[in-house]
Amino acid sequence: MQTRIQRRYAAERRFRWLGLSAVVVSAGFLVFLLITMASNGAAGFLRSNVALPVDFANAGLEVTPAQLNSAGADLALASAGIEDATANAATAAYGPAGIDYIAETAWLHVRDALKDDPSLLGKRAVVEVPASAMIDVASRGQGEPEAEAAVARLQAAGALSRGFNSAFLTGADATDPSAVGIWGALKGSLLTMLITLILAFPIGTLSALYLEEYAPKNRFTDLIEVSINNLAAVPSIIFGLLGLAVFLNFMQLPRSAPIVGGLTLALMIMPVIVIAGRNAIKSVPPSIRDAALGIGASRVQVVFHHVLPLALPGILTGTIIGMARALGETAPLLMIGMRAFIATPPEGINDPATVLPVQIFLWSDQVSQGFVEKTSAAIIVLLVFLLAMNALAIYLRNRFETRW
Amino acid sequence: MNPYALLFIIVGLGLIGWLMARARASRFSPGKARRLHSLPSQHGWYVAAWTALPALLFVAIWSSVSPGLIADQVLQHPLAAQLPAFGFERASILDEARRVAANPEYGAFNPLAETLAPIYGAAAARYAWIGSALALLLAFAGGAFAFLRIRPDFRARTQVERTVMLILLVASLIAILTTLGIFASLLFESARFFGQVPISDFLFGTNWNPQVISASDPGATLGAVPLFWGTFFIGAVIAMIVAIPFGLMSAIYLTQYARPVVRRWMKPILEILAGVPTVVYGYFAALTVAPAIRDLAVSLGFTYASSESALAAGLVMGVMIIPFVSSMADDSIAAVPTAMRDGSLAMGATTSETIKKVLLPAALPGVVAGILLAVSRAIGETMIVVMAASGAATITLNPFESATTVTKQIVDLLTGETAFDSPKTLAAFALGLTLFVITFLLNIVALSVVKRYREAYD
Repeated sequence: MQTRIQRRYAAERRFRWLGLSAVVVSAGFLVFLLITMASNGAAGFLRSNVALPVDFANAGLEVTPAQLNSAGADLALASAGIEDATANAATAAYGPAGIDYIAETAWLHVRDALKDDPSLLGKRAVVEVPASAMIDVASRGQGEPEAEAAVARLQAAGALSRGFNSAFLTGADATDPSAVGIWGALKGSLLTMLITLILAFPIGTLSALYLEEYAPKNRFTDLIEVSINNLAAVPSIIFGLLGLAVFLNFMQLPRSAPIVGGLTLALMIMPVIVIAGRNAIKSVPPSIRDAALGIGASRVQVVFHHVLPLALPGILTGTIIGMARALGETAPLLMIGMRAFIATPPEGINDPATVLPVQIFLWSDQVSQGFVEKTSAAIIVLLVFLLAMNALAIYLRNRFETRW
Repeated sequence: MNPYALLFIIVGLGLIGWLMARARASRFSPGKARRLHSLPSQHGWYVAAWTALPALLFVAIWSSVSPGLIADQVLQHPLAAQLPAFGFERASILDEARRVAANPEYGAFNPLAETLAPIYGAAAARYAWIGSALALLLAFAGGAFAFLRIRPDFRARTQVERTVMLILLVASLIAILTTLGIFASLLFESARFFGQVPISDFLFGTNWNPQVISASDPGATLGAVPLFWGTFFIGAVIAMIVAIPFGLMSAIYLTQYARPVVRRWMKPILEILAGVPTVVYGYFAALTVAPAIRDLAVSLGFTYASSESALAAGLVMGVMIIPFVSSMADDSIAAVPTAMRDGSLAMGATTSETIKKVLLPAALPGVVAGILLAVSRAIGETMIVVMAASGAATITLNPFESATTVTKQIVDLLTGETAFDSPKTLAAFALGLTLFVITFLLNIVALSVVKRYREAYD
């Protein structure tokens, strides 16, 4: 008897321990994922800089200080050969391979330095320019042997430094990993989200109101309910196929544009908003409706003056969760052509654009070593946005949760 | 006129109509002669609706009709006679002319497009002008009509509320329209596909190689069985082997054992797993998990281990599904009446025996439904398999070998450079239709299981 009880208690402990380890392992997956991304991505926000001594006096730049202060400075410097001058400076300072040490965009930094201080024109000055991807990777001890040797030489000369890469937050896509940025994709994401919100929120809220407050109980209403529940479970890539067939091929809307992405995602998250909205409306007690009807309000007044304001926090929570889902969605946007290389941020909703998750997907295909940390850094930015949205949804839910 | 400016003006006119009508209605001295039927603001809404809605509707219709009218106008021009007669080249020149006309900074690649661009621009400007004029006329006419109808006994409220009901109904029709749109577009394109490829070849063929499609027998290399197998193997076998035990045990621990404070923290943390974008999981799978699994396979003696193994994709997908299974299990365990649990405990059973012998059997239909929904989600999941699974279609039971899925093939087929009526592109829609039907059936079965189960305890 005693041994049997002991055996049963041991089984109980084992079972409990199994449950605990399932929770811990699942949470461990998440922690491992986040740590991997953070440790890879931290480097993406930093940049290696090379101190490049440029002898402006003897560089043969035929520009006057007056030109540098005028609006045409960029053009004047470009035609005066600032790009070649930068390359020559790199060769002069670090030997024939020097041109490989600095990024392809280094001359832009030299140009900006000159525009900031035209008096440099007659002097020799040291300009901090971004290092090439090869040097950047090698300076963290992962590069080719010759690049490591170059890094050692630069370090011995005290020419290598690391700093925050503000260009990563303000730039757009590029072919060179040291010059890429996320602003283009982020702006595309924001425009797409804007369209999604403008379409999905009113449509979702209004159809939730209709289904919960007015719809007669008949087969037609059942049909609406079944299609909403079914749409909520349709794989997202099917919405991409819908967008491709209807918005691009049938309605001839522009490819890769935020307007098409927004339309597609709005159809996708509308059911999420309807389902959340119906729950929120259902939880408003009938006594409030009865009271309003009792003092002579019409049914539309009951809904828009009393039920909707009380249900709004719940609807908003559902909307934020749906928007978070839309923000992380990639597959339907690939279907509608949002995977092109786009080096300028979109100006409007009809311009070709890309979004943050698609940008991550495109960068993940790049074999160049420097793209790994840029991808992880972009993932960090995306996760920060998503976690902030989810935290806001949880906060709203706790803040406005009412028990009647 | 700029479309945004036009919309702005129409909405502004609506606002003015609202203000004017409300002001006029509030001057009907209330209480003196007779009570107003409607509030002043309801008169306002009546006029605003008559001002803005017809004009907005017109703008929506106009913007979908006018591109065709503009193209017609351009084709009437003598210069357009130089266009090639039919086909792709003609369309691309017209498209280019339109783009140059809309944005003169772009240079035209084709000289003919360059000459047509000003004509295009003029026609576009003309139709935009006509459209704006008509829209504004409609707004003024509607507003005036409504404004003149305002009388103390005018039943504005009834009219406004009828319009509101109509808008609500239209909003809920969009769900049906979307479902129809999905079904129609998939069915229509698939029908074109099955016109070229026999349906039996597609459903039962075992050779999938869309890169080489022979013109005489396109079905020979478009057999989708390897894709169905890969999808099932990755989504319903490997992912579920991860997700079911972890999800179920997490749910049991969090509902039956964990202290409330632990539950309050752990549940949202697990739910974050479902909120992480799938592209992040895909990247994680391709960058971290897949190489580790290949190394493991090599150390186990599988010399042909692939770095795009089914195991890597399935494992990460399983992790993503964990919170899905656990929250469904959580719900159905919570739905079991407490009396059954207490009865079992009072008989002297330990908690684990109660869970295994009483709670789980009672909650089983709900758990099974949750697993079915999780499977349907796993087989529809795209980005993880696009990034971590291989493109090679093989039928294998070895998880270290590569496998491909329906969703990955859809992405591969549609992101290449092929014309829209080739069997290769249309095959993607046939795959999409299959996926839609399978996930739809899984969802229906799952929901009906849940429904029947719920009735048992009510």
